[in-house]
Amino acid sequence: MDWGYINARMRGMKSRLLDRRALDNLVMQPDLESLIADLEKTPYKSDIIEAKIQYSGVLCIEYALRKNFTRTFRKILQFVKEEEAEKYINIFLHRWDVQNIKTILRGKNIHITNEEILECLVPAGELDEATVIELVRQPDIRAVIDMLATWQIAYAKPLTAEYPEYAKSGDLALLESALDEYYYENALEQVKRQSYNNGLIRNIISLEIDVVNLRTILRMIRDHIVPEEAEKFLISGGKEFDQDQLVHLLTLHSTEEVVEELKSTPYRFLAALPPAVLRTQKISVIEKQLEKFLVQQGVSAFLGDPLSVASVIGYFWAKYNEITNIRIISRCKTADFPIEQLKEELVYV
Amino acid sequence: MVGWEVPIGAAIAFAAGAFGTGWAQSRIGSAGAGAIAERPETAGSIIILEAIPETLVILGFVVAAMIILMVK
Repeated sequence: MDWGYINARMRGMKSRLLDRRALDNLVMQPDLESLIADLEKTPYKSDIIEAKIQYSGVLCIEYALRKNFTRTFRKILQFVKEEEAEKYINIFLHRWDVQNIKTILRGKNIHITNEEILECLVPAGELDEATVIELVRQPDIRAVIDMLATWQIAYAKPLTAEYPEYAKSGDLALLESALDEYYYENALEQVKRQSYNNGLIRNIISLEIDVVNLRTILRMIRDHIVPEEAEKFLISGGKEFDQDQLVHLLTLHSTEEVVEELKSTPYRFLAALPPAVLRTQKISVIEKQLEKFLVQQGVSAFLGDPLSVASVIGYFWAKYNEITNIRIISRCKTADFPIEQLKEELVYV
Repeated sequence: MVGWEVPIGAAIAFAAGAFGTGWAQSRIGSAGAGAIAERPETAGSIIILEAIPETLVILGFVVAAMIILMVK
């Protein structure tokens, strides 16, 4: 396993990510057209040029970002082919499969057009563009699940198991939660052997499970869902919280109480949020902080052993964060958001 | 009259240096190839870095020569 080669390429690719100054430059652009023009001076040039042929405005940026993300990770997969690193990268890329399937299911659930669903997909994972297009063509959720089962795609298993429950209640969260649980279980299963690389992946996946669980708990408390009902949406395998602790958090009555309870954990930074935010149960602000924490932890993997999967983890999160930042900038430019507020929305790493 | 120890000693000194150089150059080479693939402008520095471990084999050669010439 030639980690030296992979590490050098990852660091080379990281050096081309947009730094703080480049992001600030994008933020300062007066409108969407100048933002697109400025993006053409960055490594997104070829994707923007390709996108401009079909789309304009925010759709052009969205298309270019999706294309760039997919192309970047396909490139990484090419140079790690048949190496141990491929397994690790696939763990990260499979989340896009989960995300794509969720998007398709959501689209089918609210009956939006196939074109609209396709615009939201990022075929960076194992399910390539042709596969997701075929899935989108299916008339309803049942047909999507059947198609996954026909192609023997593993995600059909949790979906098929949960479908009868969904058919009764019509609650899409059941299918989404089953997918998440399957993904995380599978990811942890692949890295259960003791080794430095497995430990790194296990660490970041279990951290993510904690964040997903905290998000779920905050939403459940906000929506006054009874703990017995909410419990089934929790994912096991977290780093900081076991099942009992999570269930205890679910029994609390407000966001403030949850944040108070988290003071003895690495999530104590949430207590620094203005009390007004916590009182109004404004979950989005807390979710943003949790996301920022996760990204920072992910990017800090770059400080790990260079001859390991650390740089791949770091790059994945840094790239994901860059794409998210550009999306935020483009959406805010469309909505004429004040620059200072826009800067607060970005996550700098 | 020198015994068999001298050429063996010289051979070990030279071989160890050569193995060290080979190992170091293979690691630097693969990482360098990765760096050049992403940033071709680093090629100059990579070539210099690739040459640095040559000092090990030269040192091994010098020690081997000293053993042969100086041990009587």
